[in-house]
Amino acid sequence: MRKLIVMAFKEIMVTFRDVGALMSMILSPLLLTLAIGAAFGNGGSATLSDIPVLVLDRDQGRFSEELRSVLDKQQEEELLAIEYVSEEAAARERVEADEVAALIIIPQNMSDTIVPIAPLVEEQLGMDILGMSQEDIASLTTEEQIQLGRISQQTLEEKPDPAVVEIFASPDYQISASVIKGIVQSVLERINMTMAGMNIIIEDLIQQQTDSGSDVSIDLVNPFSAESGEQGNNTVEDLPISIQVISPSGRSFSWLDYSAASMAILFLMFGVTSGGRTLLAEKRLGTLPRLLVSPTKSLVILIGKMAGIVLTGILQVGILWGATSLIGAYWGPAGVVVVAIVALVIAATGIGALISAWSKSPGQAGAIGAAFTLIGAAASGSFLPRGNLPQWLQTISFITPNAWGIEIFARLQSGGTLQEIWPLLAGLGILTLVYYLIAAFGFRRDFQ
Amino acid sequence: MPFVEVRNLVQRYHGSDFNAVDDISFDIRKGEVFSLLGPNGAGKTTTISILNTLLSPTGGSATIDGFDVQKNQMEVRRTIGVVPQDLALYEELSGEENLRFWGEMQGIPAGTLKKEIREKLALMELEDRARDRVKTYSGGMKRRLNLAVGLLGNPKLILLDEPTVAIYPQSRRYILDWVKKINARGTTILYTTHYMEEAQELSHRIGIMDHGKLIAIGTLEELTQLVGETETVKLKLIQELDRENLIARIRAFPEVSQVTARQDEIILNVGSATEILPAVLASASELGIGIRTIDLQEPNLEAVFLQLTGRALRD
Repeated sequence: MRKLIVMAFKEIMVTFRDVGALMSMILSPLLLTLAIGAAFGNGGSATLSDIPVLVLDRDQGRFSEELRSVLDKQQEEELLAIEYVSEEAAARERVEADEVAALIIIPQNMSDTIVPIAPLVEEQLGMDILGMSQEDIASLTTEEQIQLGRISQQTLEEKPDPAVVEIFASPDYQISASVIKGIVQSVLERINMTMAGMNIIIEDLIQQQTDSGSDVSIDLVNPFSAESGEQGNNTVEDLPISIQVISPSGRSFSWLDYSAASMAILFLMFGVTSGGRTLLAEKRLGTLPRLLVSPTKSLVILIGKMAGIVLTGILQVGILWGATSLIGAYWGPAGVVVVAIVALVIAATGIGALISAWSKSPGQAGAIGAAFTLIGAAASGSFLPRGNLPQWLQTISFITPNAWGIEIFARLQSGGTLQEIWPLLAGLGILTLVYYLIAAFGFRRDFQ
Repeated sequence: MPFVEVRNLVQRYHGSDFNAVDDISFDIRKGEVFSLLGPNGAGKTTTISILNTLLSPTGGSATIDGFDVQKNQMEVRRTIGVVPQDLALYEELSGEENLRFWGEMQGIPAGTLKKEIREKLALMELEDRARDRVKTYSGGMKRRLNLAVGLLGNPKLILLDEPTVAIYPQSRRYILDWVKKINARGTTILYTTHYMEEAQELSHRIGIMDHGKLIAIGTLEELTQLVGETETVKLKLIQELDRENLIARIRAFPEVSQVTARQDEIILNVGSATEILPAVLASASELGIGIRTIDLQEPNLEAVFLQLTGRALRD
């Protein structure tokens, strides 16, 4: 046991004293994560089409109709594949099952919350103000106009609770959720600009009434006319309505979170395939033969060496976890993240061992390792969210530790627990076993 | 009972059509320096690799201090110290850390190891640089550290595989003196080399290997007697032109027992150099071949090798 620990410790010392290795293991993924996080923030973009979306319209009002018309237009342009639903629970289940990218829930009171004057005018004056044209309003009596002004003042003073348009998004469709959020947000921006214009007219009306008490012409324009939008310059944050993108577990997608884990996995793969290569390098340098003629069992040498590579990998990912957490990345609940990191590093070391066991030289192992790492990373979603990759590619990529690692951390980042990821951990465990068995078969040549 | 006993050892590598070690047998007595002398590819390193348990022989047997190299591998490994031909050190670790690591692998208890490391660093004159990384050492310092690792645990037998290849004369001298010093303490040494001078200087007994076979074995005196009262003459030519004609004429002299040539050098074994040289020089003159130097040597291992194989040791 002591020899095993000495072997492992030597491996860590040799690796962490190599400045080049440290740059590749720690600094490069950290810088890449920072760059991706800075570039995309919490959103993201990609070429998409026919994003499956469910819409539950509880408002059935003027403004929800506007939102629906915009969504329908996006469907015509094949960006979205809309399905209107009426059962919330069933719709949420479909999102949780990753059948659709998201569920948009338009709240019941959205239109009234946006234009609180309308229901009051209807209640007190029996008029549908939003349905009235400019001429209709101009023909109102002075008394009606005064009452309209008072109601307007009253609604401006009362600040209603904002309505929340909820986008319930699947963590497997992170980019799609960002696109949907963008569409909804653009509609709300337009409404906001219109409302800003309306506010100016009403304020003007009140002012004129106060000053002269004479007849005034109210220019209450169609809220969705283009010219009215130009009058306001407020932002969506000023509206009594907000957008909330949540995943089934309550956390939203973040490029920083995603890239922190995926970059760490990518560079872990570089690290461990390079670590595995050191077996061949030791053979070439003569230290492996010297180890093999020491009174130490071959198995202890092999396990000690692999243990050193595993510990180095754990340290590498652990440092990246800590460093990216400091800049705001979330990896998941700490205890489960530790379990996931250990499982992932052991699996990744297995692939490093496998490559080394069947390569003839460090150069060959290096080339195969780099190719496997890069192809595996691209196919698994290190550079693009997994959910946006074709299904067949997602399936094939499960032969790499990258895919399992990204799946596990994506679930943890969206609020998953150990119970939810254990099937993934089990799958990774089986794959790890396969790696090590094939590697052991290859190592028999050197260690018999 | 010999300390090392090798019997009918055979090694044929996978896919090869010849034996790298071909039915060799020899003994090494306790406390002696035994050298295996031969050109590159003679089978010396393969023999060492079998004795240090790295290779399993295709045939034959070998024991060290009574332990069979195949059946009692761990006991054999505890008995021997190995100094490989190439440096086998971790460059990112310091000299002291290397010694500690290899000592741990040798199974030396922690308390003893600390003392041993100090001793070995002192013996190799590396105390001042003990904590510096090996990658900052000079070639000679690395060689000394490589030797120190082989000494850890004070093994009864040290296997030195061509330890002086590709090093400066000063370091070479250091290693040869070190071998003598270690042997003076009672350590048995198996030394492989293709330098005749090293084998002559160090060895109590020498085995000469060629093409996997042990073609002669004995003390220096015993081996040189194999070539009788002959002397070796080395002629260095100014130019190689017409060399073959000169060799043909020399071979015709009855006093010449062996002739070999290498580039601009002709080496001949003769009964009496003073008697034959005038005739040889006359022949060279007739052929218009200039002689740069003439070197006369007493019977030595070079002559033995030439006598036994028909080739120079460095061919």
